[in-house]
Amino acid sequence: MSIEIVKPAIVSSLVAAPREGYRSWGIGSGGAMDTFAYEMANALVGNEQAAVIELGYSSSEIYFHDHQLISATGKGFTLFANEKPFPMWRPVGVEAGSILKLVKTRGGAWSYLAVHGGWKAEEWLGSFTTHLTAKAGGFRGRLLQKSDRIELNTLLQFQKDKIFHWSISSQQVAEVYNPTYTLRCMPSAETELLLPECAKDFCRMEMMVTPQSNRMGYRLQCDRPLLAQPFNMVSSPVDVGTIQLLPDGNLIVLMADCQTTGGYPRIASVIAADLPKLAQVMPGEKISFNMVSLQEAEWEWIKYKKRLAELKRSCHLQIKNFLS
Amino acid sequence: MGVAVHEKIISLHRQLIKNPFEGLVESVPAYSSLAVFHRKKFEDVKIIIETLLEKLSAGTEQTTNIIRLPVLYDGEDLDTVARQHQLSADEVIRIHTSRTYRVFMIGFLPGFPYLGEVDERIATPRKSAPRTAVAAGSVGIAGKQTGIYPQQSPGGWQLIGRTPLKIFDASKKTPCLLCAGDSVAFYAITLQEYNRLNEY
Repeated sequence: MSIEIVKPAIVSSLVAAPREGYRSWGIGSGGAMDTFAYEMANALVGNEQAAVIELGYSSSEIYFHDHQLISATGKGFTLFANEKPFPMWRPVGVEAGSILKLVKTRGGAWSYLAVHGGWKAEEWLGSFTTHLTAKAGGFRGRLLQKSDRIELNTLLQFQKDKIFHWSISSQQVAEVYNPTYTLRCMPSAETELLLPECAKDFCRMEMMVTPQSNRMGYRLQCDRPLLAQPFNMVSSPVDVGTIQLLPDGNLIVLMADCQTTGGYPRIASVIAADLPKLAQVMPGEKISFNMVSLQEAEWEWIKYKKRLAELKRSCHLQIKNFLS
Repeated sequence: MGVAVHEKIISLHRQLIKNPFEGLVESVPAYSSLAVFHRKKFEDVKIIIETLLEKLSAGTEQTTNIIRLPVLYDGEDLDTVARQHQLSADEVIRIHTSRTYRVFMIGFLPGFPYLGEVDERIATPRKSAPRTAVAAGSVGIAGKQTGIYPQQSPGGWQLIGRTPLKIFDASKKTPCLLCAGDSVAFYAITLQEYNRLNEY
């Protein structure tokens, strides 16, 4: 009842529901980079919030010892089992002895691999997601490496030739990720610090995600440096989506594994509904920001959560019928 | 860094822990602000917090845990700090151990406490080039702040000593020894005592 990592991606780890309630100890919430793809990978195989394998930035290979019901989601990857192409965003039966490949293509950064019942992960402070700096949770509190064996929580018995007819349609996927490179953000605590012409630039300029980006944050290089009025700032709380202005006039958007506090001005926040989309932007690609109001951000979040709940409900219904 | 403001922040933080409103995830204290994480509409939370704040200003009684931490003052930057202020290393140690510090916040790393304020006579800016690896337990100074590295990490604080006690231990049910609002008093120990107490 296990799989083996034959070839890990550049950044591979077990991710699960965020670890909340410990930020005041400096312990960030963590979790999946693209929470939409993570949630859907679980829902497609009938899981609620089970640990999922997150594979980012490059191709990976995994050996299956047992016949399993899996799903792969994400952007910028194609799925193969024993060299045969399989659809993503759809449940797939993988036969014992198969090599599953997620091959990196263009237009995305992270892929997610879920199994019915979930991967066995270590719990730390109420969550199964990996915390890399604390070296706890997930799989030994670290990134996955070649030859790691990950156990399964349950072994599902089902016919090999079974067809799974439910999926997340490409239109449903597009609703979350399109338009790909325009992100909406809302004002934050130090928005007023930006000089007026730079505030205009902020919403006009294309910015490149630099190779120094990682699970903690995406660094954005601006063509013209963004400048702030002189300020005296003390360290303040930050969160996933917070856009900080660096002393050199460039930006950093905080991502899933970010710190809980920071000392740079918080000039905006990417709205929660657009975070999955931002996560899928590759280093070297360009993005631009569109400022919206707090009310609009809340409205978009409610809409997103509703869409997510509907998709989850229909997947769970399908898998219930399948299992009965 | 105002103590009065921070006392108010901690009162509100404790109040939210004691009586969480429906939809509250958690609150995070910092030097001069408290972040409130929630699953409600902003306007609704704003009203709740404003009401709580009005009640707070009436009278804020505070209880603080005082944690005494042993330190072996043999840090790599102890002499640099002493020289910058024309003090002897012993004087730096005496000044650093002579007051009780407030934990303003935990941040940067899991369990990293930002303590203040440090006596003007030993306040020292960060190093211009950060070290790539600072050992867990290292005690440092950065401006008027003093802090402890909970685990090995890159860092730019001026290192004056090290505590043998683990201030962060992921294997414990309560992984952090310190919370924002606590007080910390350092006392100097010898190498023998350090070795006897060493938890690393």
